[in-house]
Amino acid sequence: MSAAFDQIDPRHDGAALPSTGEARDFFVLLKPRVMFLVIVTALGGLMVAPGSVNPIIGFASLLAIAVGAGASGCLNMWWDADIDAVMSRTVDRPIPAGRITPSEALAFGLTLSIGSVLVLGLVANLLAAAMLAFTIFFYAVVYSMWLKRSTPQNIVIGGAAGAFPPMIGEAVVTGDFGIRSLVLFAIIFLWTPPHFWALALVKSADYARAGIPMMPNVAGPAATRRQMILYSLLLAPVGVLPALMGFGGMIYLAVSAISGLLMVALTLRVLRVTEGEPATKAAYALFGFSILYLFLLFAVLLAEHGLGLMWALPVVIG
Amino acid sequence: MSGEPDSKAVAPKPPAPPAAFSPEDMARRNRRSVALALVLAGLVIFFFVVTLAKTGPAILNRPL
Repeated sequence: MSAAFDQIDPRHDGAALPSTGEARDFFVLLKPRVMFLVIVTALGGLMVAPGSVNPIIGFASLLAIAVGAGASGCLNMWWDADIDAVMSRTVDRPIPAGRITPSEALAFGLTLSIGSVLVLGLVANLLAAAMLAFTIFFYAVVYSMWLKRSTPQNIVIGGAAGAFPPMIGEAVVTGDFGIRSLVLFAIIFLWTPPHFWALALVKSADYARAGIPMMPNVAGPAATRRQMILYSLLLAPVGVLPALMGFGGMIYLAVSAISGLLMVALTLRVLRVTEGEPATKAAYALFGFSILYLFLLFAVLLAEHGLGLMWALPVVIG
Repeated sequence: MSGEPDSKAVAPKPPAPPAAFSPEDMARRNRRSVALALVLAGLVIFFFVVTLAKTGPAILNRPL
């Protein structure tokens, strides 16, 4: 874990009793909401992949991917316990709240990381397992330990970790990567900055207190808002690509076009409304809608491929 | 573990651990143990089912 928290943690000398944290505290360490989004996006990659997979193997692979994502979240909470302790949004997490000791969280995260990669390698294939291992490494080490505290581009580059699951999903089916999962990767990658910076605008005092160089704290709110609209303007057309490339149908085209325009509209509102309570509301509206946007895109893809609702369009690209 | 302790945030002191487990603490730890047992049992079933799926149902058709 990070040094500052290490120094002040009276339990870290091994002399104290183990924690009394319950099973749900360990579950919270896995960041269940992030895990849910990873399951949806990995399933998206799995469903749009050319080919098919035994449903039991597919389910087991998804479980391994979800646990791997949870493990990286756990390692992130272990490393960032000092930051979590000074931020209102995270102060009640199991480690800063004292319900789970840092060493327990580290052991839990490492065990699940190794276990999930091994299981995915045995159940699916080595490429998928290697990809999962790289994703865990990227999130826990590259993002959490390096980028997060050193650059305002932290969530932009680190966003790749959240964008890998569709590629792992496709690798489970085909043993390879294709253009389809790359497009899904691009959607999540471009979605990350407007999503996170909307929250960072509202919580900039929290991030400043924790010493995290988020974009609003380093470049200022105005520059952050300008970058957010750039990403949203890129995201909206890329979000429609699955329909134009033949692996999203008519429903996907309609949903992605309308929700993409809404993403742009809500980001424009964040750009225009910059003062007081209305600015906070605009940022929260974008943050909330961005989660719905990503969920909608993948849910529609899943419905089209899984429930036979795929009315394909002529392939425009690909 | 980090090479730059100065860049870290100054965190408030987390709650100190209990000197000994109270009955409530022991109850919590028991519930945790039960949850762990259930997870392990689930893993046994998981590996059994996945093994069948990987090898196919023919694995059950063998001379005794």
